Amino acid sequence: MSVNRENHDMTQTDIGLLLADAADEVEIGIAPVQAVIRGGRRRRARRWAVAAATTLVLAGSTGATLAFAGLPGEHGDREAPMASGPASAEQRHVYDPQQTELARGTEHGKEWRVWVQVWGAPRDAREAGRQFDAMRQMGLRPAVDKAAGLVGKTSYFSVRSYGDDPSVVVMFDTVERIDRLSGTDLQAAAVNLEGIDPKGPFRLVVGHVAKSAREVTCRWKDGRSTAARPEGPIPAAHDSSSLIRPVAGYPGGNWFVCVAPEGTALKEAKVTK
Amino acid sequence: MGDGKQTRNEEFQSFVVGRWPRLMRTAFLLTGEQHAAEDLVQSTLEQVFVAWRRVGAADDPEAYVRRVMINGHARRHRRKLREFLAPKDDSGLVREVADTGDRIAQADDRSTLLKALAQLPPRQRAAVVLRYWEDLTETQVAEAMGCSVGTVKSNTAKGIAKLRAIPALAETVTHGGRK
Repeated sequence: MSVNRENHDMTQTDIGLLLADAADEVEIGIAPVQAVIRGGRRRRARRWAVAAATTLVLAGSTGATLAFAGLPGEHGDREAPMASGPASAEQRHVYDPQQTELARGTEHGKEWRVWVQVWGAPRDAREAGRQFDAMRQMGLRPAVDKAAGLVGKTSYFSVRSYGDDPSVVVMFDTVERIDRLSGTDLQAAAVNLEGIDPKGPFRLVVGHVAKSAREVTCRWKDGRSTAARPEGPIPAAHDSSSLIRPVAGYPGGNWFVCVAPEGTALKEAKVTK
Repeated sequence: MGDGKQTRNEEFQSFVVGRWPRLMRTAFLLTGEQHAAEDLVQSTLEQVFVAWRRVGAADDPEAYVRRVMINGHARRHRRKLREFLAPKDDSGLVREVADTGDRIAQADDRSTLLKALAQLPPRQRAAVVLRYWEDLTETQVAEAMGCSVGTVKSNTAKGIAKLRAIPALAETVTHGGRK
Protein backbone atom coordinates (compact mmCIF):
# COMPACT_ATOMS: atom_id res chain seq x y z
CA MET A 1 0.00 0.00 0.00
CA SER A 2 2.55 2.56 -1.01
CA VAL A 3 -0.09 4.81 -2.36
CA ASN A 4 -0.12 8.35 -0.96
CA ARG A 5 -3.29 8.06 1.04
CA GLU A 6 -3.47 11.73 1.89
CA ASN A 7 -4.35 12.50 -1.69
CA HIS A 8 -6.07 9.42 -2.85
CA ASP A 9 -7.84 7.89 0.08
CA MET A 10 -11.35 6.59 -0.27
CA THR A 11 -13.85 5.89 2.41
CA GLN A 12 -15.88 2.74 2.32
CA THR A 13 -18.87 4.92 1.60
CA ASP A 14 -17.06 6.17 -1.48
CA ILE A 15 -16.58 2.62 -2.60
CA GLY A 16 -20.24 1.88 -2.06
CA LEU A 17 -21.17 4.88 -4.15
CA LEU A 18 -18.70 3.98 -6.85
CA LEU A 19 -20.11 0.47 -6.97
CA ALA A 20 -23.65 1.80 -7.20
CA ASP A 21 -22.57 4.12 -9.98
CA ALA A 22 -20.82 1.36 -11.90
CA ALA A 23 -23.76 -0.98 -11.41
CA ASP A 24 -25.95 1.54 -13.19
CA GLU A 25 -23.97 0.97 -16.34
CA VAL A 26 -25.49 -2.43 -16.93
CA GLU A 27 -28.48 -2.63 -19.21
CA ILE A 28 -31.17 -4.29 -17.19
CA GLY A 29 -33.56 -5.26 -19.96
CA ILE A 30 -36.68 -7.32 -19.47
CA ALA A 31 -36.40 -10.37 -17.26
CA PRO A 32 -36.37 -13.38 -19.59
CA VAL A 33 -38.80 -15.33 -17.45
CA GLN A 34 -39.75 -17.93 -20.02
CA ALA A 35 -36.15 -18.50 -21.05
CA VAL A 36 -35.21 -18.99 -17.40
CA ILE A 37 -37.98 -21.53 -16.92
CA ARG A 38 -37.07 -23.36 -20.11
CA GLY A 39 -33.45 -23.37 -19.04
CA GLY A 40 -34.40 -24.62 -15.59
CA ARG A 41 -36.35 -27.47 -17.10
CA ARG A 42 -33.51 -28.31 -19.43
CA ARG A 43 -31.11 -28.20 -16.50
CA ARG A 44 -33.30 -30.57 -14.54
CA ALA A 45 -33.57 -32.86 -17.52
CA ARG A 46 -29.82 -32.74 -18.13
CA ARG A 47 -29.19 -33.66 -14.56
CA TRP A 48 -31.56 -36.55 -14.71
CA ALA A 49 -31.81 -37.78 -18.20
CA VAL A 50 -29.05 -39.78 -19.63
CA ALA A 51 -27.53 -38.82 -22.93
CA ALA A 52 -24.40 -39.88 -24.64
CA ALA A 53 -22.47 -37.02 -23.12
CA THR A 54 -23.59 -37.76 -19.60
CA THR A 55 -23.75 -41.47 -19.83
CA LEU A 56 -22.11 -43.05 -16.90
CA VAL A 57 -20.02 -46.09 -17.39
CA LEU A 58 -19.83 -47.99 -14.18
CA ALA A 59 -16.11 -48.40 -13.97
CA GLY A 60 -14.77 -51.87 -13.73
CA SER A 61 -18.17 -53.35 -13.54
CA THR A 62 -20.86 -54.32 -15.95
CA GLY A 63 -24.45 -53.95 -15.08
CA ALA A 64 -24.60 -57.65 -14.44
CA THR A 65 -21.92 -57.65 -11.83
CA LEU A 66 -23.06 -54.49 -10.20
CA ALA A 67 -26.69 -55.35 -10.47
CA PHE A 68 -28.72 -55.63 -7.40
CA ALA A 69 -27.86 -58.55 -5.23
CA GLY A 70 -30.81 -58.26 -2.94
CA LEU A 71 -31.08 -56.79 0.50
CA PRO A 72 -32.77 -59.31 2.76
CA GLY A 73 -35.40 -57.72 4.90
CA GLU A 74 -34.96 -54.37 3.20
CA HIS A 75 -37.97 -52.19 3.57
CA GLY A 76 -38.43 -49.42 1.09
CA ASP A 77 -40.41 -47.18 3.39
CA ARG A 78 -37.51 -46.75 5.70
CA GLU A 79 -36.09 -43.29 5.64
CA ALA A 80 -32.44 -42.44 5.40
CA PRO A 81 -30.78 -42.12 8.77
CA MET A 82 -30.45 -38.49 9.73
CA ALA A 83 -26.99 -36.99 9.88
CA SER A 84 -27.58 -35.93 13.45
CA GLY A 85 -28.33 -39.46 14.63
CA PRO A 86 -25.93 -41.57 16.62
CA ALA A 87 -25.38 -44.17 13.89
CA SER A 88 -21.93 -44.89 12.53
CA ALA A 89 -21.02 -43.96 8.97
CA GLU A 90 -21.50 -47.58 7.98
CA GLN A 91 -24.93 -47.70 9.57
CA ARG A 92 -25.84 -44.51 7.81
CA HIS A 93 -24.82 -46.03 4.48
CA VAL A 94 -22.22 -43.38 3.86
CA TYR A 95 -19.78 -45.70 2.13
CA ASP A 96 -22.10 -48.48 1.05
CA PRO A 97 -25.39 -47.21 -0.33
CA GLN A 98 -28.81 -48.63 0.20
CA GLN A 99 -29.82 -50.18 -3.06
CA THR A 100 -33.27 -51.09 -4.30
CA GLU A 101 -34.09 -52.78 -7.54
CA LEU A 102 -37.04 -51.13 -9.22
CA ALA A 103 -37.69 -53.32 -12.21
CA ARG A 104 -36.20 -55.81 -14.58
CA GLY A 105 -37.09 -57.48 -17.83
CA THR A 106 -35.69 -59.07 -20.91
CA GLU A 107 -35.30 -57.41 -24.26
CA HIS A 108 -33.83 -59.11 -27.31
CA GLY A 109 -32.48 -61.88 -25.17
CA LYS A 110 -30.66 -59.62 -22.73
CA GLU A 111 -31.73 -58.74 -19.24
CA TRP A 112 -32.20 -55.13 -18.27
CA ARG A 113 -32.53 -53.85 -14.73
CA VAL A 114 -33.22 -50.53 -13.07
CA TRP A 115 -32.17 -49.82 -9.51
CA VAL A 116 -31.73 -46.88 -7.17
CA GLN A 117 -28.84 -46.24 -4.81
CA VAL A 118 -29.21 -43.88 -1.86
CA TRP A 119 -26.01 -42.77 -0.13
CA GLY A 120 -26.27 -41.44 3.39
CA ALA A 121 -25.08 -37.93 4.21
CA PRO A 122 -21.45 -37.69 5.34
CA ARG A 123 -21.03 -35.64 8.50
CA ASP A 124 -17.61 -34.21 7.84
CA ALA A 125 -14.95 -33.80 5.18
CA ARG A 126 -13.29 -37.10 6.06
CA GLU A 127 -16.49 -39.07 5.57
CA ALA A 128 -17.24 -37.08 2.44
CA GLY A 129 -13.84 -37.91 1.00
CA ARG A 130 -14.31 -41.61 1.57
CA GLN A 131 -17.79 -41.49 0.11
CA PHE A 132 -16.57 -39.59 -2.91
CA ASP A 133 -13.89 -42.22 -3.48
CA ALA A 134 -16.42 -45.02 -3.08
CA MET A 135 -18.68 -43.38 -5.63
CA ARG A 136 -15.83 -42.85 -8.04
CA GLN A 137 -14.85 -46.48 -7.73
CA MET A 138 -18.32 -47.34 -8.98
CA GLY A 139 -17.96 -44.76 -11.72
CA LEU A 140 -20.54 -42.49 -10.14
CA ARG A 141 -20.13 -38.76 -10.32
CA PRO A 142 -22.23 -36.90 -7.78
CA ALA A 143 -23.64 -33.45 -8.51
CA VAL A 144 -20.97 -31.60 -6.53
CA ASP A 145 -17.73 -29.91 -7.51
CA LYS A 146 -15.60 -31.61 -4.90
CA ALA A 147 -15.83 -34.19 -2.16
CA ALA A 148 -16.46 -31.59 0.55
CA GLY A 149 -19.66 -30.66 -1.24
CA LEU A 150 -21.14 -33.97 -0.10
CA VAL A 151 -21.04 -33.07 3.59
CA GLY A 152 -24.54 -33.06 5.06
CA LYS A 153 -26.09 -34.17 1.79
CA THR A 154 -27.83 -37.33 0.67
CA SER A 155 -27.04 -38.58 -2.83
CA TYR A 156 -29.15 -40.80 -5.00
CA PHE A 157 -28.57 -42.40 -8.37
CA SER A 158 -30.99 -44.40 -10.48
CA VAL A 159 -29.16 -46.70 -12.82
CA ARG A 160 -30.11 -48.89 -15.76
CA SER A 161 -28.18 -51.92 -16.96
CA TYR A 162 -28.67 -53.90 -20.15
CA GLY A 163 -26.94 -57.22 -20.49
CA ASP A 164 -23.23 -56.76 -20.19
CA ASP A 165 -23.32 -53.29 -21.68
CA PRO A 166 -22.06 -50.39 -19.60
CA SER A 167 -24.70 -49.22 -17.15
CA VAL A 168 -26.05 -45.71 -17.34
CA VAL A 169 -27.32 -43.26 -14.75
CA VAL A 170 -30.86 -42.09 -15.39
CA MET A 171 -31.55 -39.60 -12.59
CA PHE A 172 -29.27 -38.43 -9.81
CA ASP A 173 -28.87 -35.64 -7.35
CA THR A 174 -27.09 -34.65 -4.16
CA VAL A 175 -29.22 -32.63 -1.78
CA GLU A 176 -29.37 -31.50 1.82
CA ARG A 177 -32.96 -32.60 2.00
CA ILE A 178 -34.84 -34.76 -0.43
CA ASP A 179 -38.04 -33.00 -1.46
CA ARG A 180 -41.21 -34.81 -0.59
CA LEU A 181 -43.49 -34.98 -3.58
CA SER A 182 -47.22 -34.70 -3.08
CA GLY A 183 -50.45 -35.01 -5.06
CA THR A 184 -49.79 -35.51 -8.73
CA ASP A 185 -46.19 -34.30 -8.63
CA LEU A 186 -44.00 -36.33 -10.92
CA GLN A 187 -40.36 -36.05 -11.88
CA ALA A 188 -39.07 -38.42 -14.48
CA ALA A 189 -36.56 -39.05 -17.22
CA ALA A 190 -36.84 -41.25 -20.30
CA VAL A 191 -33.86 -43.13 -21.70
CA ASN A 192 -33.03 -45.93 -24.09
CA LEU A 193 -34.03 -49.34 -22.87
CA GLU A 194 -31.07 -50.89 -24.62
CA GLY A 195 -27.85 -49.31 -25.73
CA ILE A 196 -27.07 -45.64 -25.52
CA ASP A 197 -28.37 -43.32 -28.18
CA PRO A 198 -29.12 -39.68 -27.45
CA LYS A 199 -31.59 -39.68 -30.34
CA GLY A 200 -33.70 -42.34 -28.68
CA PRO A 201 -36.02 -44.10 -28.80
CA PHE A 202 -36.57 -43.41 -25.14
CA ARG A 203 -38.61 -46.41 -24.13
CA LEU A 204 -37.64 -46.63 -20.49
CA VAL A 205 -39.21 -44.08 -18.15
CA VAL A 206 -37.87 -43.79 -14.61
CA GLY A 207 -39.07 -41.29 -12.09
CA HIS A 208 -40.54 -40.57 -8.72
CA VAL A 209 -43.97 -39.61 -7.48
CA ALA A 210 -45.71 -38.92 -4.18
CA LYS A 211 -46.14 -41.79 -1.76
CA SER A 212 -49.87 -41.40 -2.26
CA ALA A 213 -49.78 -41.94 -6.04
CA ARG A 214 -51.59 -45.15 -6.97
CA GLU A 215 -51.12 -45.08 -10.71
CA VAL A 216 -48.77 -43.48 -13.21
CA THR A 217 -49.84 -43.55 -16.84
CA CYS A 218 -47.18 -43.28 -19.52
CA ARG A 219 -48.57 -42.30 -22.90
CA TRP A 220 -46.52 -43.35 -25.87
CA LYS A 221 -46.07 -41.59 -29.16
CA ASP A 222 -48.06 -44.20 -31.03
CA GLY A 223 -51.14 -43.46 -28.94
CA ARG A 224 -50.91 -46.47 -26.67
CA SER A 225 -50.30 -46.18 -22.96
CA THR A 226 -49.02 -48.21 -20.03
CA ALA A 227 -50.07 -47.93 -16.40
CA ALA A 228 -47.61 -48.45 -13.57
CA ARG A 229 -49.14 -49.42 -10.25
CA PRO A 230 -47.69 -50.01 -6.80
CA GLU A 231 -45.76 -53.18 -6.18
CA GLY A 232 -44.52 -54.39 -2.85
CA PRO A 233 -41.17 -53.26 -1.52
CA ILE A 234 -39.65 -56.72 -1.59
CA PRO A 235 -36.94 -56.62 -4.22
CA ALA A 236 -36.10 -59.19 -6.81
CA ALA A 237 -39.41 -60.96 -6.31
CA HIS A 238 -40.97 -59.76 -9.49
CA ASP A 239 -40.57 -59.67 -13.17
CA SER A 240 -42.80 -56.82 -14.15
CA SER A 241 -41.57 -53.86 -16.06
CA SER A 242 -44.04 -51.09 -15.23
CA LEU A 243 -44.61 -50.45 -11.56
CA ILE A 244 -44.39 -48.06 -8.61
CA ARG A 245 -42.18 -49.02 -5.72
CA PRO A 246 -40.68 -47.53 -2.54
CA VAL A 247 -36.93 -47.17 -2.42
CA ALA A 248 -34.90 -47.82 0.70
CA GLY A 249 -33.54 -44.62 2.17
CA TYR A 250 -35.53 -42.38 -0.15
CA PRO A 251 -38.20 -40.49 1.80
CA GLY A 252 -39.27 -38.13 -0.98
CA GLY A 253 -41.76 -40.49 -2.61
CA ASN A 254 -41.99 -43.75 -4.47
CA TRP A 255 -40.21 -44.51 -7.70
CA PHE A 256 -41.83 -45.81 -10.86
CA VAL A 257 -40.77 -47.43 -14.08
CA CYS A 258 -42.66 -47.66 -17.37
CA VAL A 259 -41.47 -49.44 -20.48
CA ALA A 260 -42.77 -48.56 -23.92
CA PRO A 261 -43.59 -51.26 -26.47
CA GLU A 262 -40.95 -51.71 -29.11
CA GLY A 263 -41.18 -49.16 -31.89
CA THR A 264 -42.49 -46.28 -29.86
CA ALA A 265 -41.29 -43.89 -27.17
CA LEU A 266 -42.51 -41.67 -24.37
CA LYS A 267 -44.89 -38.85 -25.09
CA GLU A 268 -45.84 -37.96 -21.51
CA ALA A 269 -46.12 -39.41 -18.04
CA LYS A 270 -48.71 -38.40 -15.47
CA VAL A 271 -50.02 -39.46 -12.13
CA THR A 272 -53.55 -40.61 -12.93
CA LYS A 273 -54.66 -41.98 -9.55
CA MET B 1 -51.77 -30.51 -6.65
CA GLY B 2 -51.79 -29.02 -10.09
CA ASP B 3 -52.87 -25.80 -8.41
CA GLY B 4 -49.94 -25.96 -6.05
CA LYS B 5 -47.56 -26.36 -8.94
CA GLN B 6 -49.16 -23.46 -10.79
CA THR B 7 -48.93 -21.31 -7.71
CA ARG B 8 -45.27 -22.15 -7.33
CA ASN B 9 -44.67 -21.31 -10.99
CA GLU B 10 -46.39 -17.97 -10.57
CA GLU B 11 -44.39 -17.25 -7.45
CA PHE B 12 -41.21 -18.08 -9.27
CA GLN B 13 -42.11 -15.82 -12.19
CA SER B 14 -42.81 -12.95 -9.80
CA PHE B 15 -39.55 -13.61 -8.08
CA VAL B 16 -37.63 -13.49 -11.35
CA VAL B 17 -39.29 -10.31 -12.52
CA GLY B 18 -38.86 -8.61 -9.17
CA ARG B 19 -35.25 -9.57 -8.56
CA TRP B 20 -33.90 -9.38 -12.09
CA PRO B 21 -32.69 -5.74 -11.98
CA ARG B 22 -30.91 -6.11 -8.67
CA LEU B 23 -29.37 -9.43 -9.62
CA MET B 24 -28.20 -7.98 -12.93
CA ARG B 25 -26.43 -5.13 -11.18
CA THR B 26 -24.74 -7.44 -8.72
CA ALA B 27 -23.73 -9.82 -11.47
CA PHE B 28 -22.36 -6.94 -13.49
CA LEU B 29 -20.15 -5.87 -10.62
CA LEU B 30 -19.00 -9.45 -10.18
CA THR B 31 -18.27 -10.08 -13.83
CA GLY B 32 -17.65 -6.64 -15.30
CA GLU B 33 -19.41 -7.53 -18.54
CA GLN B 34 -22.96 -7.18 -19.72
CA HIS B 35 -23.26 -10.58 -21.37
CA ALA B 36 -21.41 -12.38 -18.63
CA ALA B 37 -23.75 -10.77 -16.12
CA GLU B 38 -26.82 -11.86 -18.08
CA ASP B 39 -25.46 -15.39 -18.35
CA LEU B 40 -24.67 -15.51 -14.66
CA VAL B 41 -28.09 -14.27 -13.58
CA GLN B 42 -29.95 -16.49 -16.01
CA SER B 43 -27.99 -19.55 -15.03
CA THR B 44 -28.44 -18.69 -11.35
CA LEU B 45 -32.19 -18.39 -11.77
CA GLU B 46 -32.35 -21.63 -13.73
CA GLN B 47 -30.77 -23.38 -10.77
CA VAL B 48 -33.15 -21.60 -8.45
CA PHE B 49 -36.04 -22.84 -10.60
CA VAL B 50 -34.92 -26.42 -10.16
CA ALA B 51 -34.95 -25.99 -6.38
CA TRP B 52 -37.82 -23.53 -6.19
CA ARG B 53 -40.12 -25.82 -4.24
CA ARG B 54 -37.62 -25.67 -1.40
CA VAL B 55 -36.21 -22.21 -2.00
CA GLY B 56 -39.57 -20.49 -2.43
CA ALA B 57 -40.73 -21.84 0.90
CA ALA B 58 -37.55 -20.80 2.70
CA ASP B 59 -37.45 -17.83 5.04
CA ASP B 60 -34.81 -16.09 3.00
CA PRO B 61 -34.80 -17.17 -0.64
CA GLU B 62 -32.49 -14.25 -1.42
CA ALA B 63 -29.74 -15.87 0.61
CA TYR B 64 -29.98 -19.02 -1.46
CA VAL B 65 -29.94 -17.06 -4.69
CA ARG B 66 -26.90 -15.09 -3.64
CA ARG B 67 -25.08 -18.26 -2.74
CA VAL B 68 -25.90 -19.87 -6.07
CA MET B 69 -24.74 -16.77 -7.88
CA ILE B 70 -21.48 -16.51 -5.99
CA ASN B 71 -20.78 -20.20 -6.47
CA GLY B 72 -21.64 -19.95 -10.14
CA HIS B 73 -19.37 -16.99 -10.55
CA ALA B 74 -16.52 -18.73 -8.74
CA ARG B 75 -16.95 -21.81 -10.93
CA ARG B 76 -16.85 -19.76 -14.10
CA HIS B 77 -13.88 -17.89 -12.83
CA ARG B 78 -12.00 -21.07 -12.15
CA ARG B 79 -12.88 -22.30 -15.61
CA LYS B 80 -11.95 -19.25 -17.55
CA LEU B 81 -9.82 -17.46 -15.04
CA ARG B 82 -7.95 -14.57 -16.58
CA GLU B 83 -9.86 -14.41 -19.79
CA PHE B 84 -13.11 -14.04 -17.91
CA LEU B 85 -12.12 -11.15 -15.71
CA ALA B 86 -9.69 -9.39 -17.98
CA PRO B 87 -10.60 -5.89 -19.12
CA LYS B 88 -12.14 -5.80 -22.57
CA ASP B 89 -9.20 -3.93 -24.03
CA ASP B 90 -5.58 -4.77 -23.66
CA SER B 91 -4.65 -1.91 -21.42
CA GLY B 92 -3.74 -3.59 -18.19
CA LEU B 93 -4.41 -1.82 -14.95
CA VAL B 94 -0.74 -1.58 -14.12
CA ARG B 95 -0.05 0.40 -17.20
CA GLU B 96 -3.05 2.55 -16.61
CA VAL B 97 -2.00 3.29 -13.07
CA ALA B 98 1.44 4.33 -14.25
CA ASP B 99 -0.18 6.48 -16.85
CA THR B 100 -1.77 8.84 -14.39
CA GLY B 101 -1.68 11.73 -16.73
CA ASP B 102 -4.03 10.01 -19.11
CA ARG B 103 -7.13 12.13 -18.69
CA ILE B 104 -9.07 10.11 -21.21
CA ALA B 105 -8.73 6.98 -19.14
CA GLN B 106 -9.62 8.83 -15.97
CA ALA B 107 -12.70 10.34 -17.52
CA ASP B 108 -14.56 7.09 -17.35
CA ASP B 109 -14.73 6.40 -13.67
CA ARG B 110 -17.12 3.52 -14.12
CA SER B 111 -14.72 1.82 -16.39
CA THR B 112 -11.94 2.56 -13.93
CA LEU B 113 -13.82 0.91 -11.12
CA LEU B 114 -14.70 -2.12 -13.20
CA LYS B 115 -11.09 -2.51 -14.23
CA ALA B 116 -10.01 -2.13 -10.64
CA LEU B 117 -12.50 -4.75 -9.54
CA ALA B 118 -11.28 -7.04 -12.28
CA GLN B 119 -7.87 -7.01 -10.68
CA LEU B 120 -9.18 -8.39 -7.42
CA PRO B 121 -9.15 -12.13 -6.81
CA PRO B 122 -12.73 -13.42 -7.13
CA ARG B 123 -13.27 -13.96 -3.41
CA GLN B 124 -12.15 -10.43 -2.58
CA ARG B 125 -14.23 -9.03 -5.38
CA ALA B 126 -17.31 -10.93 -4.25
CA ALA B 127 -16.79 -9.85 -0.64
CA VAL B 128 -16.48 -6.19 -1.62
CA VAL B 129 -19.50 -6.28 -3.92
CA LEU B 130 -21.72 -8.10 -1.44
CA ARG B 131 -20.62 -5.96 1.49
CA TYR B 132 -20.66 -2.54 -0.13
CA TRP B 133 -23.04 -2.86 -3.02
CA GLU B 134 -25.53 -5.41 -1.69
CA ASP B 135 -25.00 -3.83 1.74
CA LEU B 136 -25.09 -7.21 3.44
CA THR B 137 -23.82 -7.83 6.93
CA GLU B 138 -20.62 -9.80 7.30
CA THR B 139 -22.66 -12.77 8.44
CA GLN B 140 -24.84 -12.62 5.33
CA VAL B 141 -21.79 -12.32 3.11
CA ALA B 142 -20.28 -15.34 4.87
CA GLU B 143 -23.43 -17.32 4.14
CA ALA B 144 -23.42 -16.28 0.51
CA MET B 145 -19.78 -17.15 0.06
CA GLY B 146 -19.91 -20.30 2.13
CA CYS B 147 -17.09 -19.21 4.42
CA SER B 148 -16.52 -17.82 7.90
CA VAL B 149 -17.12 -14.26 8.99
CA GLY B 150 -13.39 -13.96 9.62
CA THR B 151 -12.68 -14.88 6.02
CA VAL B 152 -15.19 -12.30 4.87
CA LYS B 153 -13.51 -9.62 6.98
CA SER B 154 -10.14 -10.57 5.61
CA ASN B 155 -11.28 -10.67 1.98
CA THR B 156 -13.16 -7.39 2.30
CA ALA B 157 -10.26 -5.61 3.97
CA LYS B 158 -7.77 -6.83 1.38
CA GLY B 159 -10.10 -5.95 -1.47
CA ILE B 160 -10.73 -2.47 -0.17
CA ALA B 161 -7.04 -1.93 0.48
CA LYS B 162 -6.23 -2.88 -3.09
CA LEU B 163 -8.86 -0.55 -4.46
CA ARG B 164 -7.54 2.25 -2.27
CA ALA B 165 -4.09 1.62 -3.62
CA ILE B 166 -5.15 2.42 -7.16
CA PRO B 167 -4.51 6.11 -7.75
CA ALA B 168 -6.76 6.32 -10.77
CA LEU B 169 -9.67 5.11 -8.74
CA ALA B 170 -8.89 7.35 -5.81
CA GLU B 171 -8.71 10.31 -8.16
CA THR B 172 -12.12 9.45 -9.46
CA VAL B 173 -13.38 10.10 -5.96
CA THR B 174 -11.16 13.10 -5.30
CA HIS B 175 -12.19 14.81 -8.50
CA GLY B 176 -15.83 14.05 -8.00
CA GLY B 177 -15.91 11.62 -10.85
CA ARG B 178 -18.91 10.05 -9.21
CA LYS B 179 -22.15 11.49 -10.28
